[in-house]
Amino acid sequence: MFMLERRMDISRKASSLFVLLSLLLAFFVTGLIFHLLGVDVAQFYSTICNVFITPALLLQAVFRSIPIILASLGLVVAFRMGFWNIGAEGQIYLGMIAATGIVILHVSYGAIPASLMLVAMGVASFLAGGAWCLIPASLKVRLGVNEVLTTLMLNYIAMLFTDYLVYGPWRDPEGWGFALSIPFPEYATLKYCGNPSTVGIVISVAVAGFVYFLFKYTKLGFTLSVLGKSSDVAKYAGMQAGRATLLGSIISGGMAGLGGLYVVSGMMGRLRPRASPGYGYTAIIVAMLVQLNPWLILPAGVFFGGLLTAGDALQSSLRLPFSAITVFQSVIFLCIILAEFFRRYRVVLRRL
Amino acid sequence: MSLEWVGSVLAGTTSVGVVYLLGSLGEIYAERSGILNLGLEGIMALGAATSFITTIAWGHAVAFFVAGVLGILMGLLLAFFTVSLRLNQIAVGLAITMLGSGLSGFIAFPTTRKTILRALNPELPSTALEAQSAPMLPSAPLPFLKDVPIAGPMLFNHNPVVYVSLILAPTMWFLLFRTSVGLKIRSVGENPGMADALGINVFRIRYLTCMLSGAFSAMAGAYLILGFQPFWIEGITGGRGFITLSLIILSAWSPLRAVFGSLLFGGIEVLQYRLQLFGFGAASPQFVLMLPYAIAVITLSLLSIESFRKRISAPAALAKPYYREE
Amino acid sequence: MSVTPLVELRGIVKRFPNVVANDRVDFSLMPGEVHALLGENAAGKTTLMNILYGLYQPDEGEIYVKGKRVRIRSPADSIRLGIGMVHQSFRLIPVHTVWENVVLGLKEAGFVLNRKKLTDMVKKFCEEYGWNIDPNARVWQLSVGEKQQVELLKLLVRRAEVLILDEPTSVLTPQETKGLFKAIRTMAKSGKGIIFITHKLEEALEVSDRVTVMRKGRVVATKPTGEVTAEELANLMIGRPVLFKIEKPEVKKGGIVLEAKGLKVMGDRGVLALDGVNLCAHSGEIVGIAGIAGNGQEELMEALAGLRRVEAGKVFIDGEDVTNKGAGYLIGKGVSYIPPESTRWAIVRDMRLVENIALKFYRSRDFSGMLRIDWHKLFEFSRKLIDEYGIAAHSPSTLAGTLSGGNLQRVVLARELSATQDGKVPRLILAAYPTKGLDVAATEFVHSLLLKHRSMGSAIVFLSEDLEEIMMLSDRIVVISKGKVVGEFLSKEKTVEEVGMMMLKGSAA
Repeated sequence: MFMLERRMDISRKASSLFVLLSLLLAFFVTGLIFHLLGVDVAQFYSTICNVFITPALLLQAVFRSIPIILASLGLVVAFRMGFWNIGAEGQIYLGMIAATGIVILHVSYGAIPASLMLVAMGVASFLAGGAWCLIPASLKVRLGVNEVLTTLMLNYIAMLFTDYLVYGPWRDPEGWGFALSIPFPEYATLKYCGNPSTVGIVISVAVAGFVYFLFKYTKLGFTLSVLGKSSDVAKYAGMQAGRATLLGSIISGGMAGLGGLYVVSGMMGRLRPRASPGYGYTAIIVAMLVQLNPWLILPAGVFFGGLLTAGDALQSSLRLPFSAITVFQSVIFLCIILAEFFRRYRVVLRRL
Repeated sequence: MSLEWVGSVLAGTTSVGVVYLLGSLGEIYAERSGILNLGLEGIMALGAATSFITTIAWGHAVAFFVAGVLGILMGLLLAFFTVSLRLNQIAVGLAITMLGSGLSGFIAFPTTRKTILRALNPELPSTALEAQSAPMLPSAPLPFLKDVPIAGPMLFNHNPVVYVSLILAPTMWFLLFRTSVGLKIRSVGENPGMADALGINVFRIRYLTCMLSGAFSAMAGAYLILGFQPFWIEGITGGRGFITLSLIILSAWSPLRAVFGSLLFGGIEVLQYRLQLFGFGAASPQFVLMLPYAIAVITLSLLSIESFRKRISAPAALAKPYYREE
Repeated sequence: MSVTPLVELRGIVKRFPNVVANDRVDFSLMPGEVHALLGENAAGKTTLMNILYGLYQPDEGEIYVKGKRVRIRSPADSIRLGIGMVHQSFRLIPVHTVWENVVLGLKEAGFVLNRKKLTDMVKKFCEEYGWNIDPNARVWQLSVGEKQQVELLKLLVRRAEVLILDEPTSVLTPQETKGLFKAIRTMAKSGKGIIFITHKLEEALEVSDRVTVMRKGRVVATKPTGEVTAEELANLMIGRPVLFKIEKPEVKKGGIVLEAKGLKVMGDRGVLALDGVNLCAHSGEIVGIAGIAGNGQEELMEALAGLRRVEAGKVFIDGEDVTNKGAGYLIGKGVSYIPPESTRWAIVRDMRLVENIALKFYRSRDFSGMLRIDWHKLFEFSRKLIDEYGIAAHSPSTLAGTLSGGNLQRVVLARELSATQDGKVPRLILAAYPTKGLDVAATEFVHSLLLKHRSMGSAIVFLSEDLEEIMMLSDRIVVISKGKVVGEFLSKEKTVEEVGMMMLKGSAA
């Protein structure tokens, strides 16, 4: 009979080995599924590999990974404090809305000087994303509402609200009737500071450093960690759990909001409906894959950014729908969760 | 507002409500046994996609059957991860939702769909291969009863699946609250350790309810496309799975009250369309579309206020993995 | 006599890491017999019974039920063999009705549950034992005594012939205890065998036909109750005439540190747990709280530690009003709290030792600035504590969860009792059951720590399930019953028996 023994301590090496094995398993299982569905699996994987060996495509992968990375870093904060924030997607949309709002304020009313535009947009998108995450957090703290469902619902609301804006009041009058906002002036795009990819990398590294520092050295970070591991002990140790949760949720949502800023200001140069192909959901997988380690999020994010890039290539080369990538991502997700099992338990064969 | 208008709104309410009802019936069993199936949304999408294809290939009955079987398989996947491996139910559920949505988008994509249809039934005419919508379930109005004002259009002028669902609700309520199997399921969700000590097989019961939840979710998806919205679009479920999870809380985990919860959200959805017809929110339909999600958040919050919580409490062991202590 | 025993255990051995819980234990139970299993905490009584109940597998030894050798792999097996157990913490589903709890898993109940038939059955059993429970009531609405009756009903409807009761009176009022004893006699009369686990002599003498005394995992005697006296049993149980001899140095009592006035506090179930309690503790004084479990002691500690809302009344520390200021504030005032089940409530298992020690100190000026925590300093400090308190860990970065329970208890003690860098000792130490489950050496270690802090000028309030320990260690004793103080005196003024009576009767005798 198989028995499970709980491991308390596991070496970092063994732990990463399990994750790598789980990734391999994900490749195998995805291949199997697609083979059964009549897809040319060899071509499928070569298209994906191609992304990571072709410099131009790799650059594209990095480019697309920035919103994922930023949102994922936000999720590290939330997950470490035991707050199941499934709402990064919505928080990204809020970030986009806030950034666009600043641009429109500026263009229509000239409210903000051009030189301060990017700073103002950054602050606004951080606060908007944070506020969106603060709603479920305060519902949880004040009323004990489970955050899983509320964050999910708020994603749909945020997406529809974006639709409303671009189909309605914010629609570009010169956009030939398309649902688009006005194009951002140059000083409101990240091009203003240099190559958008480079800028994105700099921001990502800075934010990762911030998250690392937060949990490694600060009182707030320590409070959040204890809260996530045992809210009972946090209460016992006299920590202000409610306040910490609210603060942590603002940080978490704020980083996703920055991801939204990057989408409109770095990638598209304007706001459009459904501008995120699920960055916020992919971010969940990334955060879990690296076991909430902020530095590892950077390469892991690039991997998933590469998958998105490959998704486009697959559409042209194999005429596969983009959901092929969703399938692959979700299989990876399941395999990562499986790795968690092997990290936690040792399977022993024992005779009774 | 004529009687006829009211009648048609009510008919629509039931028609949409059944999507939620089917989904919630299975899920209530799962949650009562301590399993939160967050994968419901994805399994629903998968059910919709497969039944869309299989209906074109083989007809309605087979479509429901295939959807059910696939749902059971997804339920088994959920059970294996959460019951046997004791992994986090929220993470597993999310992954299953992503898998379900991904697979549904994949198989219902025009090119892949065509390949699959050809493989399933080589004799299909090319119009069927290209079809953008599935044939809907035939309506089967009940003689005499359908002419009763209000109740007639609301309850007795629908397709057979609606009738079956409406009968299933009390049946499943009875099974849950008046039989020993139901008592076992509820006990497992409240205190699995104790149930285990009394010789109840916690694992078997949770596997069973997971499969039940999977099957019902998938059939809810099948009904969504065959009974209500026959055109396939990606993301057809549009969060209805998650709303189902909210309405279960609103229904206090009772299959009977779930009927009302489902009709409530069905009604909201129908009103959306009606309001748009009236020109209400014509310029910005998004706000009307937000209604179900917003109402779900509001009801979840209201339900959490202390005085309510005392009366309706979630199963004590919900979303907690169980393992025997040695 | 040729009557086959209902149950016979032969040579049972059960080892746990570091300890032999049962060492070649023999035990038997005859039909119609009430057999008391007597022993101190951690003597191995509950382990033995968990083996009989199928929760644990013995490492050696044989089990016979009605003369037939059996293997009991799970509680379900033991139920099938007619063995049932009522645990100290009830295993009931509070939101279900009484009858649903009783018939759960019962084959005879049938597929469709006939409510009328089943409630009638429950009522019939209730009448037999003179109980007065509404079968349709939800279990959470019942009193503790009634819940116990539901537990018994579960066994009775299953026609259990062997009933194991684990410390059944610890949560009961004296009247309820009387009722329970009557029910036990009725059951014995109908031919059932009852195993009554207890550490209370009087109860063993009152209700049983035969007594088995266990000490440190071994059976030291089995005798008919009629042939032993209380003194004999006490000596057998303890193994030496006096439990502990504590060298208590004279300490001059200082000023008042803690003063609580008219405390009213709600329990978890929304009922008043403390009803106007007054309490004070001086510097250099140990105040023991005595009372039967569940009379508000734990709520009192939580309220004093700032973890439970004070509905009415005031708490002062060193003259400052700290009522409802929260645990964080009180920690800053020098209040230490060792909670019950401290390894669960005061330790984060998947954090390192240094982080667990930091729980209390990370906010203090000594170890952190405005924002940053000085982990380097905390590391040094933890290393010192590991040495000082003899914690078996390689380094401060050892994961707490990898340590044994006894070591974790030491970690909690180290953190709560230690002075900070600048040598400040805790002003007030609240210790709830700090020696529970510890062996003699560890217990003495804790006692010496508490006494050391007493002489250093801390005020100490402490709880114990062991009245002797309270009497021995405390300078002053406060007896609590039903959320009220029913007696207060210096520990030399009264005997254990007198205090015991006070706890039972809920008033000064």
